[in-house]
Amino acid sequence: MRDRHLKYLLTMPAFLLVTATVIYPLGYAGIVSFMDWRLSRSRVPTDFVWLENFSRAFLEDPSFLNSLGVTITFVAGSAIGAVVFGLLIALLLARRGRGYSITRTVLVLPFAMSPALQGTSFRFFLNPEFGIFDAVLDALFPFLSHVDWLGSSGWAITWLILTDMWHWGPFLSLMLIGGLLSIPRDTLEAARVDGASAWTSFWTIVLPQLMPVLAIAFVLKTIFSFKMFDYVYLLTGGGPGESTTTMTYYAFRMGFTAYDMGYASAIAFVLALLLVGVSAVYFRLLFPRGGTA
Amino acid sequence: MQLTPGQRERILFCLRGFAIAVLLAVLLGPIAWIFLTSIKPLSEVYTMALFFEPTLDNFRAIFKRPFYVGDRLLNSIAISGFTVLIGVPVALAAAYSFSRFAMRFKKSLFFGVLATQFVPPIVVVLPFFLMFRQLHLLDTWTGMVWINLSIVLPFAIWMLKGFIDTIPVEMEEAAMTDGATRLRVIRDIVIPVTIPGVFVAAIFCFIFSWNDFLYALILTRKEAVTLPVVLSTFYTEEGDRWELMAATGTFILLPMFAISYFVQRHFVHGATQGSDR
Repeated sequence: MRDRHLKYLLTMPAFLLVTATVIYPLGYAGIVSFMDWRLSRSRVPTDFVWLENFSRAFLEDPSFLNSLGVTITFVAGSAIGAVVFGLLIALLLARRGRGYSITRTVLVLPFAMSPALQGTSFRFFLNPEFGIFDAVLDALFPFLSHVDWLGSSGWAITWLILTDMWHWGPFLSLMLIGGLLSIPRDTLEAARVDGASAWTSFWTIVLPQLMPVLAIAFVLKTIFSFKMFDYVYLLTGGGPGESTTTMTYYAFRMGFTAYDMGYASAIAFVLALLLVGVSAVYFRLLFPRGGTA
Repeated sequence: MQLTPGQRERILFCLRGFAIAVLLAVLLGPIAWIFLTSIKPLSEVYTMALFFEPTLDNFRAIFKRPFYVGDRLLNSIAISGFTVLIGVPVALAAAYSFSRFAMRFKKSLFFGVLATQFVPPIVVVLPFFLMFRQLHLLDTWTGMVWINLSIVLPFAIWMLKGFIDTIPVEMEEAAMTDGATRLRVIRDIVIPVTIPGVFVAAIFCFIFSWNDFLYALILTRKEAVTLPVVLSTFYTEEGDRWELMAATGTFILLPMFAISYFVQRHFVHGATQGSDR
């Protein structure tokens, strides 16, 4: 067979599957977001209402605006938090030696743990009566012993971010350790001989060298933070009140407890657009010329 | 107070040791606690006890009515397994094509594949729910494999293309000058060399679909329920059955940990390559 035909034949199954699993549903959701479709009333979409679902979200629905704020807080907190946590772990463990490489094998475990299991477990760990996290934290910080971690809105969103950091930080650190170990030792040695402190060489040598990897880790984490659902559902249930209701969770609630498919699709679509917008800005910053990826 | 370099070194060493100990406690503590809880007798589950008479009662309980974790385990294995079996070969074919051939719109196509990863799952799951309802695919393996491919496939294409890009083309070119056909080259040269990469991609894909919660929560009811979704059924009317969650959790964890050992090796290998010279 000629390469000319073969190359298309080889990409065809993937092309069809990606179309069937992503592009078609995306279009479908796009159309539904312009319609009035309450599953509780009708099995089929009733009517085109054009932008009504979107205007309802932005103009009439404080819960939606709240979920927008929660999403931004969570994404910013968890993306920055996980990258910084990952960097700290990497700085601690990017050394040669058998002990260090054994310790590094642990880093993949939190990432391999199912987020659903992590959400359920951490909920128990934070229980003020019999949770292990609560017990340990009360012992370390007695002045916090009265706190009901998931019962106050400030702490609930904090724990949502911390839970996510626990999952992602160690994984990102594996990427960063690779970057750290590839910095030539001679450079650091030379800086030390010239009298630079560890602090100075971190800011002037290590960090600039690590920048490309850090940037990729940050972009990757931002995208995944936008998509996060499991922790909200199982750890906080969106509460207390709506203080941890992200857009993903809000769209889920509208779709599968209120059965308002049109409105849920509209919210999900706004989320998708937000994600595309943020990614576009990132890519501009990362690859200023465009197309060097 | 002035410290001699030796003293400084020793203090730093102790500090680093302490930091590593704290890190290990933070990362391993929760995992260990889940495992401990799963073998605790009911009377000790809601205490901080570290020493107790271990029991397998919790494991016995989850396999019986009304939880049937055995069936769920089978669902999880089948859905993740079929997703990998379909997704990885399809991705390999596409990745090879992207890596080796000149194609019109290649860059845009490949970027399009990556861009699908920006689509939040909640956007995809709404239409799938409506579609599956009409096609009678709700609560079936087929439906679950189909939707899991939406996460796995673009990721696998991207990963495998990266892998094939690193393999020199000279061998393939030489074989073709000697008269081998492209398909023969793919079968006898490319596939054997890509096996390690395929293996790693398969592992990642398996982890992704094994750990999926959102899709299974929405698209399964009774028959095709997977392990992560069972966890939410332990919030029962008689209260939360934490010990049963922990026992189920152990089943979710163990295969992932066994598998992730290999992933780790891949990562460390990649990380130290080029730096040890």
